[in-house]
Amino acid sequence: MPKHYRPAGKKKEGNVAKYITRSKAVKYLQISLQNFRKLCILKGIHPHEPKKKVEGTHKTYYLMKDIAFLAHEPILEKLRDIRAYDKKIKKAQKKRNEERAKRLLTRRPSYTLDRVIKERYPKFIDALRDLDDCLTMVHLFAALPAMDTEKLAVQRVHNCRRLSHEWQAYISRTHSLRKTFISVKGIYYQAEVEGQKITWLTPHSLQQVVTDDVDFNVMLTFLEFYENLLAFVNFKIYHSINVKYPPILDPRLEALAADLYALSRYFAASSRFQAVESADPNLAIQENAAIEDKDTRNDESELRLAQLQHQLPANEPGTLMQLVEEAAGEDNDDEETKVCKALFKDLKFFLGREVPRESLLFIIPAFGGVVSWEGDGAPYEETDKSITHQIVDRPSQKHTFFSRNYVQPQWIFDCVNARIILPTDDYLVGRVPPPHLSPFVENEAEEDVPDYAKTIKLLQAASRKEIMPMPGIDKQDLEDTQSLLVEGIISRTEANEAAERKRKMAILEKQYHDELKMELQGVPYTTRESISNETDRQSPAETTDGKEESLINVLPDPDPDQIAKDASSMATVVMSRKKRRLYEAMQIGKERKEAHINLLKQRKKKAESSKKSA
Amino acid sequence: MVNIMDTNEEECVKEEVTLDVEAETNPRVEESDSSEDEVAPLNTVGDVPLKWYKDEEHIGYDITGKKIKKQARKDMLDSFLAGVDNSKNWRKIYDEYNDEEVELTKQETRLIRRLLKGKTPHAEVDPYTPYVDWFLWEDAKHPLSNAPEPKRRFIPSKWENKKVVELVRAIRRGDIKIDKPKEESCLYLLWGDDSRSADKAPGINYIPAPKPKLAGHEESYNPSVEYIPTKEEVDSYNQMYEEDRPKFIPRRFESLRNVPAYENAMKESFNRCLDLYLCPRSRKKRINIDPESLKPKLPSRKDLKPYPSKCYFEYKGHKNAVRSISVHTSGQWLASGSNDGTVRIWEIETGRCIRIWEVGEGVQCVAWNPMTGLTILAVAVGLDVLLLDTGLGDDEEQDKIKKLLHVEATTVANDSDHNGSLVDWLQHDKYKGIRMRFCKTITSVEWHRKGDYFSTVMPGDSRGILIHLLSKKLTQKFSFKQHGIPVATKFHPSRSYVFIATNKAVRVYDLLKQKLIRKLEPSVREVSSIAVHPSGDHVIVGSREGKLCWFDMDLSSQPYRKLECHPKDITNVAFHRSYPLFASCSEDSTSYVFHGMVYSDLNQNPLIVPLQILRGHAATNGRGVLDCTFHPRQPWLFTAGSDSVVKLYCH
Repeated sequence: MPKHYRPAGKKKEGNVAKYITRSKAVKYLQISLQNFRKLCILKGIHPHEPKKKVEGTHKTYYLMKDIAFLAHEPILEKLRDIRAYDKKIKKAQKKRNEERAKRLLTRRPSYTLDRVIKERYPKFIDALRDLDDCLTMVHLFAALPAMDTEKLAVQRVHNCRRLSHEWQAYISRTHSLRKTFISVKGIYYQAEVEGQKITWLTPHSLQQVVTDDVDFNVMLTFLEFYENLLAFVNFKIYHSINVKYPPILDPRLEALAADLYALSRYFAASSRFQAVESADPNLAIQENAAIEDKDTRNDESELRLAQLQHQLPANEPGTLMQLVEEAAGEDNDDEETKVCKALFKDLKFFLGREVPRESLLFIIPAFGGVVSWEGDGAPYEETDKSITHQIVDRPSQKHTFFSRNYVQPQWIFDCVNARIILPTDDYLVGRVPPPHLSPFVENEAEEDVPDYAKTIKLLQAASRKEIMPMPGIDKQDLEDTQSLLVEGIISRTEANEAAERKRKMAILEKQYHDELKMELQGVPYTTRESISNETDRQSPAETTDGKEESLINVLPDPDPDQIAKDASSMATVVMSRKKRRLYEAMQIGKERKEAHINLLKQRKKKAESSKKSA
Repeated sequence: MVNIMDTNEEECVKEEVTLDVEAETNPRVEESDSSEDEVAPLNTVGDVPLKWYKDEEHIGYDITGKKIKKQARKDMLDSFLAGVDNSKNWRKIYDEYNDEEVELTKQETRLIRRLLKGKTPHAEVDPYTPYVDWFLWEDAKHPLSNAPEPKRRFIPSKWENKKVVELVRAIRRGDIKIDKPKEESCLYLLWGDDSRSADKAPGINYIPAPKPKLAGHEESYNPSVEYIPTKEEVDSYNQMYEEDRPKFIPRRFESLRNVPAYENAMKESFNRCLDLYLCPRSRKKRINIDPESLKPKLPSRKDLKPYPSKCYFEYKGHKNAVRSISVHTSGQWLASGSNDGTVRIWEIETGRCIRIWEVGEGVQCVAWNPMTGLTILAVAVGLDVLLLDTGLGDDEEQDKIKKLLHVEATTVANDSDHNGSLVDWLQHDKYKGIRMRFCKTITSVEWHRKGDYFSTVMPGDSRGILIHLLSKKLTQKFSFKQHGIPVATKFHPSRSYVFIATNKAVRVYDLLKQKLIRKLEPSVREVSSIAVHPSGDHVIVGSREGKLCWFDMDLSSQPYRKLECHPKDITNVAFHRSYPLFASCSEDSTSYVFHGMVYSDLNQNPLIVPLQILRGHAATNGRGVLDCTFHPRQPWLFTAGSDSVVKLYCH
């Protein structure tokens, strides 16, 4: 009898019963491999690694339960229907029955994914948690050209664009953007929605490189799911801020590819409408808002009409919209949102033609700024006197207004990450900006902190009025750090000086601590003690009374390193084997990290020395 | 148009009919009046695409089969000028087929104008003349068809009707829908009420996908200088294997406008998709702890004092590596045997060398007789074991020793007869002791606690363990089968047990009952040494791979603890007789001192704490510390090194 003999009537047990290989699963479900893939993507079913691979090591194993779950899936039936239907169409086409083929094509069976989404994400928070990939993918496809060869229709690209803009508009509106980062791969954004940190990557707004070594079928299936998911998520979040979904946009602005601005206007309009609906009569309404008030008391369709006719003003300060926004915002915003909202509060921006407009149109309003751009449909012109910052990205600016700063786009991103208005000196037109640092790296946890991060930290502390950045400035001046920084009183050199001083202090302190430690251990002194005669036997014990045990060690060369090494090696001796292996593995990881840090330090030193010599 | 044609035809036919009569009289019948027929086309290539002749020098062939040469191409400027000069130039049309210019006549232009207007080409033709049936019906014998018009011509088609009915029914049923499907939005508030907990969470098997790694400083479009690899480093990346090569090489752009589209965006997105739906997911516990917290909490070493911790004394005098040392029970004398062929006895307190024996060969092992009064030293040298009278006791004891170490000639003869060539007990004249002659090299000598029996180990022999009785000068073979090469023997400190360590396992035999009691399996590569706790319930075994195994005899045959303390061979292990201490020494020229507390409570496991690493011996010829032994009363450790020094470590 073989070892694993199973009697005839007995069910399978263990790994054999629990797992199924992919080819068997496809056969079991009686569908094609493509459809199986599609189903797995839509349902979020992934392979599992069994403890024992019964069918062979090079196979993919799925949980039998998952496959049984797929077998009951209505979409599976729908996929079969579609297949049969496609045959009908093909037959009609082949028989040159064009009319029938055309009629059939209009009524192709389709499936909806709402149930699947609800099944995969029973709660809204679950969906938010898994939104990273979804947003990244939708943003990528929004930037792709429509391709006939890859079955990527124009409508889908437009849909992606629309969805991504809707999402950005919401984030911008609720001021929930937290971090931004320009990388080589694109621009990273991190927002916080309902306590979930959602990070996504948008490609640089250029013609994307479409490679042919990717399987578009797989990507489009993912995109199909993500489009649906994002649409439902957008619906939910718009619902949560009392805005109708899907939004109806100003076609003029849409045509100008200023969707985001159109969306923000839509928000403004609808919030005004709702505020008036629910407004109590005592609400202080300004004079100029009275006329609009009358308009907005009408029903929604009229509001839309009004909006389409551009009768509503743009986001001008002092209108009712602003009032409503503040009234609604104050009570339920958390601390961070408030900070984010007020970052660019009194600043007015103007974007040059060459800067990435979409990204800045998203970021600046998200942090409370007012923004316009060069082109049609812009809220205000370049000649506007109240503009404080103009974002340009060109080697030199010919015509300049003295009342405003001309800065490079990186300044916005760095300000956002630092949460303070940074001095604009380094970011002026034509200069090489300081290094752009990732906000996702916790500088406290890392050992190698870039210099600029330290500078920013110092400036942050200055803006919080914690320490005096310079001895020359008294407290009076520090009260208004914001303006102080903007005016550039704390120049970069001075900030650097402060950093340098701090570093020196730290070095001194460290040295002192080291000495103290050495003294405590008394290491160098015990070595000198001769151990010549017997009467001395107790003396070291007496001298080292109440100190570390390692002192007793009187070797010819009892250097502290050796003692520490001995102590650690003695501790490893008594560890269990499992723990010791783990400890060794951790040490390897630690060493690798240290090597990396050393490499960085080395490169830095080399760069500095070459700069000095040059 | 059809009408026109008809009438023309009719006319023609009429003409023919009329002309038919005079056919024979008029030879012009063959001629047609059309101008086209008058001049036959020059070219005879027929209706073929003219581009076939584009590159040729001729345009075709004439009727005789000769090539028609192409005309010289006119200069564009000349032709234009000619056009300007000549007011009739617009009439000229280039005939591509015949490669010639044709000038249209006035009639022809008129004809074309009429055609363009949609009129008949000839003005004289009236398209609307009444129809005249020219067929003469009355003389015709056979009509073309005389059948009456069938009925089906007058009633609607049955099958068409059926088809229509079918369609109507299908439309009524809803199988065929005429109006276009409405584009309705299927979006709704999917997560309406989250507070309701009826929604089942995904099952236990659901593992959410890990989020992609967030970008670090190096991915910035403008990273700090230290993140950008130098040219040599980038070159070295190219020489790496594809898997080891860094996926992303930092680059620096002067400004944002210079940043190009990322070339791998699609690829990376696709790879992420693959990861999401093709990678098996499993939960892995990731320990995020300080590695130091893995180390066990050891009791403070201060509380475990006294233990040997520092080198206090060095006994120098040997010329070569000291192989073996032994301390007398009284704690006064230290014997050491060295590779230089000498055995020395030292006074421990003063470090004075009292006696030296030159034994010729390298000493393998020295062992004091454990009885306080009997200052007999057993020395294993080559094939011999010498029992030496050290002459350290008082006179009474000396007499006793002398009596013991006297071998009568007759017993020698008897023994030699009895045991064959196993052992010869001989009187050693030079040192006034006994010389036992073996057939193979002796590596270790071990005394029984009562000082009368002692055992010797010959690793080269299959029955290499012999037990000797000093008082009767008797030698016995060990009566059990040896498994493997014997390494060392130890006597149980209180019972009549003996521990036999072979290179693979340790076996415990009861000498009185003559049977095997335990087999201890250290599962190490090669056992090198063994020591027994003074209580007799615990054994430590040292191995050649540097592992120290602690066995509890009450527990299983597997070691209770295995300590990986030395990177090289352990040469010896030792227990202290009274203090809870044990030590191991190794060829890496260190020795470890451990605290090994054994509790009388059976439920409590022994406590093992490493106390000290003793260094100081220099490695010579790749060997370090060769032997270690504790002082019988004080917590002192003696170590013998290959650097020919014996060291004393005190607390």
